[in-house]
Amino acid sequence: MIKNFVTAGNARIISLAQALNIDRNNRINRVVISTAEAFSRFSTEGKIGILGIICIILIAVFAPVITIYPPQKITGDSLEPPGPRHILGTDELGMDIWSQICYGARISLTIGLAVAFVAGFAGGAIGILAGYIGGHVDQALMRVIDVTMALPSFPLLIVISAFLGPNILNVIIVLVLFSWAKPARIARSQTLSLKKSNYIIAARNYGAKPFYLLWRHIFPEVMPVLFVLTIGIASHAIIAETGLAFLGLGDPTSKSWGMMLNHATGFRSIYFTPYWQWWLLPPLFMLIFLLLCLAFISRDMERILDPKLKIKKGF
Amino acid sequence: MRLLSTLFVILAINFFLPRVMPGDPFTTISSDEIGEEIIVMTEEQRLYYLNYYGLDRPLHEQLLVYMKNLMTGNLGRSIYYKMPVSDVIMLHLPWTILIVASATVISTVSGVFLGTLSAKNRKNGSDRIMMTCMIAFAEIPPFLLGLILLLVFSVHLRLFPLAGAVTPFADYNAPLEQAWDIMYHAFLPVVTLSLTQLTGVYLLTRNTLITVTTKDYIRTARAKGLGEKTVWIRHALRNALLPVVTRTGFMIGIMMGGVVLVENVFSYPGIGMTLRSAVICRDYPLIQGILLVTAVSILVCNLLVDKIYGKLDPRVAT
Repeated sequence: MIKNFVTAGNARIISLAQALNIDRNNRINRVVISTAEAFSRFSTEGKIGILGIICIILIAVFAPVITIYPPQKITGDSLEPPGPRHILGTDELGMDIWSQICYGARISLTIGLAVAFVAGFAGGAIGILAGYIGGHVDQALMRVIDVTMALPSFPLLIVISAFLGPNILNVIIVLVLFSWAKPARIARSQTLSLKKSNYIIAARNYGAKPFYLLWRHIFPEVMPVLFVLTIGIASHAIIAETGLAFLGLGDPTSKSWGMMLNHATGFRSIYFTPYWQWWLLPPLFMLIFLLLCLAFISRDMERILDPKLKIKKGF
Repeated sequence: MRLLSTLFVILAINFFLPRVMPGDPFTTISSDEIGEEIIVMTEEQRLYYLNYYGLDRPLHEQLLVYMKNLMTGNLGRSIYYKMPVSDVIMLHLPWTILIVASATVISTVSGVFLGTLSAKNRKNGSDRIMMTCMIAFAEIPPFLLGLILLLVFSVHLRLFPLAGAVTPFADYNAPLEQAWDIMYHAFLPVVTLSLTQLTGVYLLTRNTLITVTTKDYIRTARAKGLGEKTVWIRHALRNALLPVVTRTGFMIGIMMGGVVLVENVFSYPGIGMTLRSAVICRDYPLIQGILLVTAVSILVCNLLVDKIYGKLDPRVAT
């Protein structure tokens, strides 16, 4: 029922775009149509995921516009319940919780995006190169990947951030160091099988240089799988950052959602007072919502890319 | 081989991390960046500690001492607890093992059970509903799920305790009563860990079973006139369990990471809580000791699973 409705909605968007499309070369219209078409290939869950992510991105980008108070300033009484002055109430220092949620979205998204982008594409590039070159380079890389994947990432993460000090950049670097191995492995195996396919051999026989082959033929083939993996890495990075912040290893100068959880659960009698209802629940809800959205999208993308292709889940 | 090199990397990180850092751990201890415990050290104390940990000697000598200490099981002394790190860990490790082990058993058994159920009824709608629920559970990280369970069952409904592993100052009349108290306190952490790991086992069992049931020997078994129950349990499930064994080892590894946070949600006195307090008071020897114990236990689990798998499926061993 819902599905039909959404599909119908998309059909309407497409036909609207086509009706507007008087000039066939109009670039914006074409973009609208292709976006609408790509969007309609997602299932209901995938669409919810995409809309949810867009909402969170909007909240993060327009944080100064949609909040009245700055997140790190004392603007009210301590532990005010939600009301007209403070939409979601205040924490123990009298800081506005809605502002903290909005600005916290920036931190989660930044960490997720940065780690996913760097690890996904650096790992992918390493994997493609190693798969293409082969030989000793490939063997050495496989050993390194094996060891990296067998490392217990979260305990190590705690220790390393404890030593390096709480700082967002450190967290990002450490997370990248732990998450590049998986995209590298998958990119490598894909490259190995592509290398043997006829069209690549044909292109090489026509005199294609290695760089041209990698860039024009292999990279576009590996790219979609890397993209799906990247979403997984992003949600893993967000979880890791939250976990670190929850343990008290977050960046003290920034109020991420994990830090909010840390402050709230660290408050002495939080569970014996009604404060948890507006102090603990909002960041908890936002985190779960964000992670579920990411998961829906990555599951759907997996299905769309190739129903036969199974990417092993789990880190 | 792979495990040995992994262990080596962990040891190397453990050894070099405090040493290559700008400054030394003791300046960090004496600064008051964050944390409730502010340990102020005089210059004299700092030098004493530097000497005590041998940090003023050349690097290769330090490495030798470190190796020797490791071999003899000496993990150093905790700065905060003022006792050997190994003693502190031994005090808390049993609680962690208790909840991780129970969660492993529960999630494996119920995952296999639900997976079988789902594979049997895979044409019904109930299978689809079950799958969607399971997948949603798997995406929530354990400590957030733990927080939700804590808020619902302990804070709102007041069914379960908020913190601890036993009732403080309790007198037990019978050992059974004590066991009951421990179970009562461990219930929510175990459920949290099990729920997040359940999905992996469930999906694996379901998918393997569906593949296995298309095999020829299942048809043969049916053709022999064996009952449906015997076919499912003795022929299909036994073969489908093989990948589950590997999954279990993998799962313990993930849980050892997740349990650190889950214990903190429930204030459960295992090594996760100890790690948090060690982090707060910058108790570096203790942090390193806990990392080592966690890493080694994960590696040992992986090794065990590899061995068991070789026994169960002789095709792999060759």
